[in-house]
Amino acid sequence: MAELDDIIHQPLRLRIMAALNALPTGAGLEFSRLKKLTGATDGNLGAHIETLAKSGYVGVEKAFVGKKPQTTVSATAAGRGAFARHVATLQEIIAASGGNG
Amino acid sequence: MTDIDPKEAAQALNDIEEIVARVRQSRIYDLASQIMIAAGVLVLAGNIANFIVPRQGGYIWISVNVLNVAVAAALFTMGGKQVGVRLFDFRVLAAFLLFYAFGILCSSVLGHFGPREMGAFWPIYFMLFYCMAGLWFGGAFIAIGLAIIVLTLIGYFFVAGFAFLLWMAAVNGGGLIVSGLWMRRI
Repeated sequence: MAELDDIIHQPLRLRIMAALNALPTGAGLEFSRLKKLTGATDGNLGAHIETLAKSGYVGVEKAFVGKKPQTTVSATAAGRGAFARHVATLQEIIAASGGNG
Repeated sequence: MTDIDPKEAAQALNDIEEIVARVRQSRIYDLASQIMIAAGVLVLAGNIANFIVPRQGGYIWISVNVLNVAVAAALFTMGGKQVGVRLFDFRVLAAFLLFYAFGILCSSVLGHFGPREMGAFWPIYFMLFYCMAGLWFGGAFIAIGLAIIVLTLIGYFFVAGFAFLLWMAAVNGGGLIVSGLWMRRI
């Protein structure tokens, strides 16, 4: 059986990756939108995005819209691959138990 | 390596499904909010123009509705490109045409509505579809639809004369703009 991805397995990082993976390739989510979708606090979300970015799973783009700073986060190809493998492993775990999860 | 039991694995998959559903709804609200704000601006302008030149009401509302469909088609097309799905096709166009055909049949062929009845009927008819869309795409559509229907009926029964057009500019045009902005935040 394949191994679970330790980086993605953490619950908030899993939610972040699930949200970004639901977007078309190349599309991203603004930090504030991601915060609302995942139910995280600013600090917590920032820290976990940093962890994912260090692993090469997400890309972070900072820009100014007018005078307001805007941070957009998107899943990289490596991140999408890792997420797909993680989900497949979760499904395997359930299947191996006879689907009684 | 992380070891988890099947229960935890199922919980993780449920979390993923829930977030994917939220993202989907968020994108629907995002596109709908753009369409609502554009429609609101057009309806606001239409009511004010109709208040200023009441005799040109027919031309004004034909223009507003043609522009409304064109803008919605453009936003559907752009929104579809962003999500990689074709959202505007002949079926959507046919739905718009059927919607307008049925509205004209009720208001002009069977009903012979006057300007005031027209001013109440079309927003209520539009909002009925918002309410129905809400059954699939989220409660915000139902809340917005019902609010505008109730305010339209209040105006129809209690706001006399040409002031009804200004009431509808605020309630229907302004209501759609405010609702579109609200939808972006939820």
